[in-house]
Amino acid sequence: MLEPVRNLWVSGLLVVGAILVSVAILAFLHQLAPSLRHRVIAVLTFFAGLYFPLEFFIPYHNFLTPWRNSVADFLRLMAAFTFGLGIINLLIIHGRHLLRWTSNAPFSLAFFSGFLLMLVIGLISHYKPTLWAQAVPKEAIGTVGFWDAAFRLFFEGALQSLNATIFALLAFFIVSAAYRAFRIRTLEAGLLMATAIVVMLANVPIGQQWLTGWIPEQSPLAWLRLEKLSHWLQTQVNAPTMRAIVFGLWVGSLAMAVRIILSLERTFTVGGQ
Amino acid sequence: MEHADWGTVYPWLVWLLTVMVGLGIWLSARGRQLHIRRLPAIDAMEEAVGRAVEMGRPILFVPGLADIDVPTFQAIAIAGHIARSAARYRNRVIVPVTNTVILTMAEQVLREAYAEAGAGDVFRPEDVRFLSGEQFAFASGVIGLMERERVASSFFFGNFAAESLILAEIGQRLGAIQIAGTPSTLQIPFFIAACDFTVIGEEYYAVTAYLTKEPILVGSVWGQDICRIALATFILAATVGMKWLPPIIVKFLTFPT
Repeated sequence: MLEPVRNLWVSGLLVVGAILVSVAILAFLHQLAPSLRHRVIAVLTFFAGLYFPLEFFIPYHNFLTPWRNSVADFLRLMAAFTFGLGIINLLIIHGRHLLRWTSNAPFSLAFFSGFLLMLVIGLISHYKPTLWAQAVPKEAIGTVGFWDAAFRLFFEGALQSLNATIFALLAFFIVSAAYRAFRIRTLEAGLLMATAIVVMLANVPIGQQWLTGWIPEQSPLAWLRLEKLSHWLQTQVNAPTMRAIVFGLWVGSLAMAVRIILSLERTFTVGGQ
Repeated sequence: MEHADWGTVYPWLVWLLTVMVGLGIWLSARGRQLHIRRLPAIDAMEEAVGRAVEMGRPILFVPGLADIDVPTFQAIAIAGHIARSAARYRNRVIVPVTNTVILTMAEQVLREAYAEAGAGDVFRPEDVRFLSGEQFAFASGVIGLMERERVASSFFFGNFAAESLILAEIGQRLGAIQIAGTPSTLQIPFFIAACDFTVIGEEYYAVTAYLTKEPILVGSVWGQDICRIALATFILAATVGMKWLPPIIVKFLTFPT
């Protein structure tokens, strides 16, 4: 519905105007008596919360539909406003460690190094990739520039590898968690162990080919083949249980949404606001 | 499906459920005593806070890979209750977050919880920390926090993904008492294996009602339970009766594709 403004001056003025209006609204809310402020916020929450359900429940393309993207952009914009707060929070915490040179100072130093390095390299590689570059020889066309290479080194070479390293820890933790879960102390743990063995064996050749592979497919005992037992466990036992949990969750989520829209749920708000 | 298809049962069901939840809230607000069954995981929360106090170590509350959504709002509400309990004994609650909107929200909720308990001086703003928006960078940050602070109790409430087991196993290694709850169904088994108590399924949305006993919240939980019973009965009846139902009703009951 709202088209982006191409004119730089007009868009700049709109941004400044929007910020001024937001500040004015916040100042106005701040001036109100707490009970009145709560009422104003409750009314705003009600109408804001009603937009998406109404847009969905009124059949077909309705008067609210053209505004859908604009409302979604508005929500993204609100989130973007707080992003700076996250960075400030990090800078304050790590800055304090460095200034007082606490035992955590080396970690804070690593944070500042990584933060500044990625920020500078990321900005230069995006906006000024030819900075300090020599004239590129003809035969080098197509090769990666310095800033791009530096960005890749830190992003793909360091960050993504570190991410993968942490993810890889999961393999070891699954083993230790499984060990604890499979200690047969109760009937439930025994059942868990038995089903886990069936599912695991059904996924490896030793189970499929050797242990029960000799049972003919057409035999009345074919259901004893491990892959069939595993399939039955996953589709007839596991899937319905998961669906039942999801079912309960969605009803709970609906109730919570109703409470939020009607401003009845105040446990996560500050002073009921 | 861009818009609701009123020729099917689904939009009608949503409104019916909303009305039933509203009915629960109305009955409870009028003073009707409604019952919620006992939830051991929630009963253990106070014990977990007490243990951290006895050991003189902080409490960790992780609101998951927080986004601006209903499960995260519920997680922040639970964090507020934990903070209120911890504040009574002048203990710290550390809340690492992945989302900057949730950072401001969590900071204010905790600040208010400590102030309410008369322990405003115990609250440290740096205990609510934005670590990273990256899933595993966040996970490694939380692991570091757990190790350095030697947390005595960990609470994991909110949306989680693969990092759930990493965090819970580190807590297990540290000997922390751990309570978890998540609407991410794939992570529930990991929490069950690695935590002392786990809130499963719809119990997640009943935690605040159970803790506060506030009539409106209790009423909505009661309404949810009635909804579930009604829906389960409806599904069972429709499944059994499908064979004999006229095609127009079958079409009405079939999910539009």
